[in-house]
Amino acid sequence: MRRSPGGRIRLLAVAGILLVSLPACGPRPVDSVDSGNVLYGITSRIRGFDPVKSGDVASAIAISKVYEGLLQYAYLDRPYRLEPLLADGMPVVSADGLVYTFKIRQGIYFADDPCFNGVARELQADDFVYAIKRVADVKTESTGFWAFNDRIEGLDAFKEASSGPDLTDYDRPVSGLQAIDRYTFQIRLTRPYPQLLWILTLHYACAIPHEAVRYYGEEFLNHPVGTGPYILKSWQRNYRVEFVRNPVWGRTGRTDRYPEHAEAGDAAEGLLEDAGQPVPFIDRIVQYVIDDASTQWLKFVAGEVESSGISRDNWEAVITPQKDLAGHLERRGIRLYRTPTLDVYYVGFNMDDPVVGPNLKLRRALTCAFDSEQWVKFYNDRITRARGPIPPGVAGYDDEPALFPFDLDRARTLLAEAGFPEGVDRVTGQRLKLTLELGSSDSSTRESVELMMGFFRKIGVTLVPSYNNWPTFLSKMDRRQCQLYLLGWVADYPDAENFLQLFYGPNQSPGPNHSNYINPEFDRLYEAVRTMPDSPERTARYRTMARMIMDDAPWIFMHHPMDYSLQHRWVHNYKPHDFPYGMVKYYRLDPADRQAWKEQFSFVHWLE
Amino acid sequence: MNVTNTTLRTERGGNSLWKDAFRRLRRNPLVVLSFGVVVVFTLAAIYGSVVHWRYRILDAEMPARLQPVKQLAIRILRAESVRGQEPVYIRQDLDQRYQPPSRRHLMGTDGLGRDVFHRLVQGTRIAFQVGVITSLIAIPIGVILGCLAGYFGKRVDDVIVWLYSTFDCMPSLLFIIAIAMIARKGLMGVYLGIGLTSWVHLCRLMRGEVLKHRQLGYVQAARALGAGPFRILFIHILPNLMHLVIINFSIRFPAAVQTEVIMSFLGIGVQDEPSWGIMISNARLRLWEGIWWELGFTTLIILAVVLAFNLLGDALRDALDPRLRVTGDHD
Repeated sequence: MRRSPGGRIRLLAVAGILLVSLPACGPRPVDSVDSGNVLYGITSRIRGFDPVKSGDVASAIAISKVYEGLLQYAYLDRPYRLEPLLADGMPVVSADGLVYTFKIRQGIYFADDPCFNGVARELQADDFVYAIKRVADVKTESTGFWAFNDRIEGLDAFKEASSGPDLTDYDRPVSGLQAIDRYTFQIRLTRPYPQLLWILTLHYACAIPHEAVRYYGEEFLNHPVGTGPYILKSWQRNYRVEFVRNPVWGRTGRTDRYPEHAEAGDAAEGLLEDAGQPVPFIDRIVQYVIDDASTQWLKFVAGEVESSGISRDNWEAVITPQKDLAGHLERRGIRLYRTPTLDVYYVGFNMDDPVVGPNLKLRRALTCAFDSEQWVKFYNDRITRARGPIPPGVAGYDDEPALFPFDLDRARTLLAEAGFPEGVDRVTGQRLKLTLELGSSDSSTRESVELMMGFFRKIGVTLVPSYNNWPTFLSKMDRRQCQLYLLGWVADYPDAENFLQLFYGPNQSPGPNHSNYINPEFDRLYEAVRTMPDSPERTARYRTMARMIMDDAPWIFMHHPMDYSLQHRWVHNYKPHDFPYGMVKYYRLDPADRQAWKEQFSFVHWLE
Repeated sequence: MNVTNTTLRTERGGNSLWKDAFRRLRRNPLVVLSFGVVVVFTLAAIYGSVVHWRYRILDAEMPARLQPVKQLAIRILRAESVRGQEPVYIRQDLDQRYQPPSRRHLMGTDGLGRDVFHRLVQGTRIAFQVGVITSLIAIPIGVILGCLAGYFGKRVDDVIVWLYSTFDCMPSLLFIIAIAMIARKGLMGVYLGIGLTSWVHLCRLMRGEVLKHRQLGYVQAARALGAGPFRILFIHILPNLMHLVIINFSIRFPAAVQTEVIMSFLGIGVQDEPSWGIMISNARLRLWEGIWWELGFTTLIILAVVLAFNLLGDALRDALDPRLRVTGDHD
């Protein structure tokens, strides 16, 4: 998933785990029957609840409360492992790796909704067939077709057929997607797709009842109907969203349980206290859209916020130089969670651009001029320098020294060889000016860009930032109008393939290869590697490909962030996760403890 | 005795509007103080410009045909070259971030370790640039259109009144933003945005005054002597209305500065130069931690400049436009 850089966005992106309680004097929920067991949270702006449409993290987290897929991540297991969710056991895979057969759990019902005319609607295999066909339907403008593109038998033909002027015919069979019977769903692939199971955890593959789509039409975006633990109660766009426990779970006796299996050390953290208990624990979830990082933080320190990220500006007040939690926070029972993330942030060169595209030495020179040490310092040491496209923690990550580390002398030499001695164009006598496109213009982004301008000024290159809003930025990239652009990539699943596809020729803009990088040798390797199952050989190939990219320098690799989050003491069962979709069902609150805390540490005490 | 008295009276009574105004202004200590503040900031802006342009000229950032100019500048400034050097206001040092005011950094440092004082000086330069250049755009438009409408009347008047009424009915900040967006972000957008929207008031004022003046005896006399309309307008009438232009300038200058700060704060104004708006926007995130100096000094200076200009503007208006005088100052 694409993500704009900057701590704030990062912070907002983990919105599902940012929980806010309302102030005692603030608005209380009107229906306060079980107001004690309510999670109040902060979220980024949610674009909508249609599983096929949303490509951003905040929407995906919101969708995952309502909709469910066949598989899910085992909450406590590391390295990441998948377990069945709506599937009854893991799939049976044919020997050639081309046919996946899933049994579907019986007795799972969709939430009650007018679209079902008062009849309880049971989940069936067809709902998955329908959901994936919707992703392929050109008319839904899905952002998720990349996940199935050229993989499933007959799906590309279905997509082709849906592009005509007529309404898409969902009865048109797709040989690769079959409901063998009511509870058996089968996927036939055109060639092996080792990442398929990860893909099936994404919201693009969640079960969707066709009745709801027909009933609500365009409005389906605002009326989610799923099997998940929560239903959407109300949504005021860009202000407030509320979910309540899905009553169907209780009525139909559906019982999903808290995991009993965990990593070593989890038990000591208290993460197994609820092992085997039915989920979800929380009755209601209310989230507000609060953009301003300082407002979020002040809500947290006032005890009105249960969880928070740490913005760059709050860093020194919260974290000691030893990277621990500051004493005054620790004394209040606040817990700090530190985890590396599977993200990479970078400055991309548009290879179509006549200046930077053909000039390899220039790209290398700029890479050498990027002062990673200062950059890490600017981010308060909460990031690690990226050496290549693959983040640590993913097979294929290479901890060899970078090919073009920060080295001003080398940068100057390379720049001169590139035709710009001391940053001045040998032909025109003009100083080299490069335009950097950005997708946000908040203070923290601006400050970081000013720092970067300073890096390039040292070798005589002028960097001209161009601040856009997010949609304008995306469309500039899609239309290949950027010269340089600043962007992050958040893993969709823990496999290096998800990062390497960003350099695959056919994925050029408007696909995710925004650098429009084309290297036939790389493409050949990629095509070979993407059908290979996990093996040391595949990992070695990933390394080779990553080296190739580092050598060609279509990106300046900036950093992999570390995720720091804070939880108040009454939030239980929290464990950071790179793919926190649907995890809120495992969290438990202790409302009495929250009340006690508030009485003990009011805002007035805090300021002392 | 009589003669002496007459002489005295003649001297005093013969005071021109300007001399009289100057005398009045000088007697008000608040005005003198405001004037002092304005002078200090003007000097700061000039100093800021020198620093800025010294760097710009000495740096290689100019086309080949201007290279001789650069060589000359290097010789005059006795500087080898500033390549690889950075002017102090953009010099970053992450080890010196968020330093409180000290002898080394008079007003502390910001999040990238840059000196707040020097950035404020550059902010003053930008504020003055905006104030002056937008005036150079707005005042000629306002004066010329106002004079034409007032003097010629009829169709010309209709068209100009329609034009300024149209401009006037649009919400000004939105209009400025729209113009700035078309002219691309940056200083040019700010100049055009503010310059092209703030002439209306002056235009309306001039039109009314010219309407009055064209009926007056001296204009009739000039016409009788065969003077052409433009000669009458710009040689006879306009000098009599110059005080209005000056008052208008002194009032719209701080308004332009304020608008620039707002635009830059919102991220649609100055880009990546130390504008006051950007400084406030950057500094506010750290305020709650007690890092007050960047926000504090910037706000203080904006307050001082805007207040000084407004006081001065009011005083000028009182002094130059006797009809608006509010004090019982009649001697």
